[in-house]
Amino acid sequence: MPQTTFDIFRYQPDFADESYRQSYALDHEPELTILDAVLRLQNEQDGTLAVRYSCRSAICGSCACRVNGKTVLACMTQVEDVKKEFGSDTVQVDPIGNFAPIKDLVVDMDPFWEKFKSVKPFLVPDGPAPEKERIVSKEAMQKIYNESKCILCAACYSECNSFAADEEFVGPAAFVWGYRFAGDERDGQRKARAKLYSGQHGVWDCTRCMYCNERCPKGVDPRDAIEKLGGIAFNEGISWADSGARHAKAFLISVRTGGKLNETLLVPFTAPIQSQMDMPFALRMLRKGKAPSPIPHRVKKRSEVNKLMKNVKETI
Amino acid sequence: MAQKFAYYPGCVAEFSSKELNATTKALAPMLDIELLPMPAATCCGAGDIAEAKPNLYLTLNVRILSQAEEMGADVMTICNVCTLNLRRANKIVKDDPRILEAVNEELIKAGARPYEGTREVTHLLWFLATEEGLSLLEKQGPKGLNGLRVAPYYGCQLLRPSSVMGFEDPDRPQSLERLIRALGGEVADYEAKSRCCGFPIILAREAVALKESHVALSQARDAGADCMVTPCPLCHLAMDAYQSKAEAANDAEYNMPVLHLPQLIGMALGMDQSILQFKRHMVSMDNVVEIVGA
Repeated sequence: MPQTTFDIFRYQPDFADESYRQSYALDHEPELTILDAVLRLQNEQDGTLAVRYSCRSAICGSCACRVNGKTVLACMTQVEDVKKEFGSDTVQVDPIGNFAPIKDLVVDMDPFWEKFKSVKPFLVPDGPAPEKERIVSKEAMQKIYNESKCILCAACYSECNSFAADEEFVGPAAFVWGYRFAGDERDGQRKARAKLYSGQHGVWDCTRCMYCNERCPKGVDPRDAIEKLGGIAFNEGISWADSGARHAKAFLISVRTGGKLNETLLVPFTAPIQSQMDMPFALRMLRKGKAPSPIPHRVKKRSEVNKLMKNVKETI
Repeated sequence: MAQKFAYYPGCVAEFSSKELNATTKALAPMLDIELLPMPAATCCGAGDIAEAKPNLYLTLNVRILSQAEEMGADVMTICNVCTLNLRRANKIVKDDPRILEAVNEELIKAGARPYEGTREVTHLLWFLATEEGLSLLEKQGPKGLNGLRVAPYYGCQLLRPSSVMGFEDPDRPQSLERLIRALGGEVADYEAKSRCCGFPIILAREAVALKESHVALSQARDAGADCMVTPCPLCHLAMDAYQSKAEAANDAEYNMPVLHLPQLIGMALGMDQSILQFKRHMVSMDNVVEIVGA
């Protein structure tokens, strides 16, 4: 019978201001999930140990936590797999990152739900309700299939680098639900949604650290949803309004005019006011040769590139 | 016989970070690799074109892969972002023949060569951090880094998403550490080595980006690093060129010289300063040069 030491984050604000760690030893059958292990510790050794859970089947999204530093669903992670992966009989369990702990492994999810609500995560069809149900083709549903798998476990926020730097960043799961409806052909708010999701703390604030795609236990790929919302903003013609969107536009202009990125165009185009205020910085860059010629950098066979830019249609 | 690669340095290494391109080109013959130029290759879009026009992003990147296919070589990059964008496009069309067919239709219509899906995309770091790469370095009889304490800085897009990148465990990468040790340096380890440098949003959301770079810069400093090394020119810009801004924004001091990966190797192999071009860095490299005795 395997024996495992669980090194668990403890925070009991009724008794102590500071968090601490506590170790528990457990003999167990080889098949045991992290959640079942924590529940056994709670039942058999320490009734004060707090954990949030419900379905135990990777559906409700309640039990996300960090196991040896990596955010997972506790109910779909086997203790023995973790020990094998890390080559140790000790397993560390911590609450998810970027949210304040309330008690032990339980964090305050209010900010998460506020973000979720802010994207209007529901269908808003145009016009009066039809007499019969709206039939959606398989192809149309396929576009939003990945996003519809999200179980709102918040694992994608746990290591989100933009959220860590800016607590107002709307963030991955909320935008997944944004695309879930912006990409739904029955929804009538595509343009309004594109506008709502742009601006400060919106889709253009994603720093593309890719942690959300790495951590999502359901394979939703939240970063891809954010990318698609950017594409919708472009298609809906709001690409001049935000510096993040202008940044993307500068890449398209660079490719159209030469093929390669024109870095010297990128700066004033993205942030015209800020770059003028930053003249000393720009001069330092210039002195170090870090402001290349603004003349387009032309690649060979540009006619191919120009034709692609003209012909390729977007299907978001 | 030298191993041939279709060389895709990326836009930043060709223009604002020329020192990276020059050092890589000087390093190639020493490692018995030949870097074939790709004169018709465009920008990979850096994730920005994908965020605006996803189908165009895919087609432009497959066009680049097709050029490598025509040259009969796999692609070698020296930039995290180029690596991710090219590998992602490659995976999308290799995984779904219907998508490859649709992309090829566009390429043919534009007079470009269609892609058969036979190429791989690698990064210089991945080539070097294998037994083969390390033995190539050893053959050069490196004069070494003289115990220089180097903080490995991976950034994001060479590690994640692992379903696209897949060279090493994204949570416990070791390739840079292996190279640093093989070259006679010491590893200054720290948690934030695979966090984001903030560069993708540094122009559009400077305040957020500078908070991000602060995490890695301050941790590397606290780990007692003499310098940082990175496999990505965008991370280099964020960590070196914008370091003074990060100091001002976070009321901190780092004094952290940042090397491009080929510069670290070049220095250990005794490469000339005229190639390494440390003068092009914003943070002084004098202390590093003094320790290594380069």
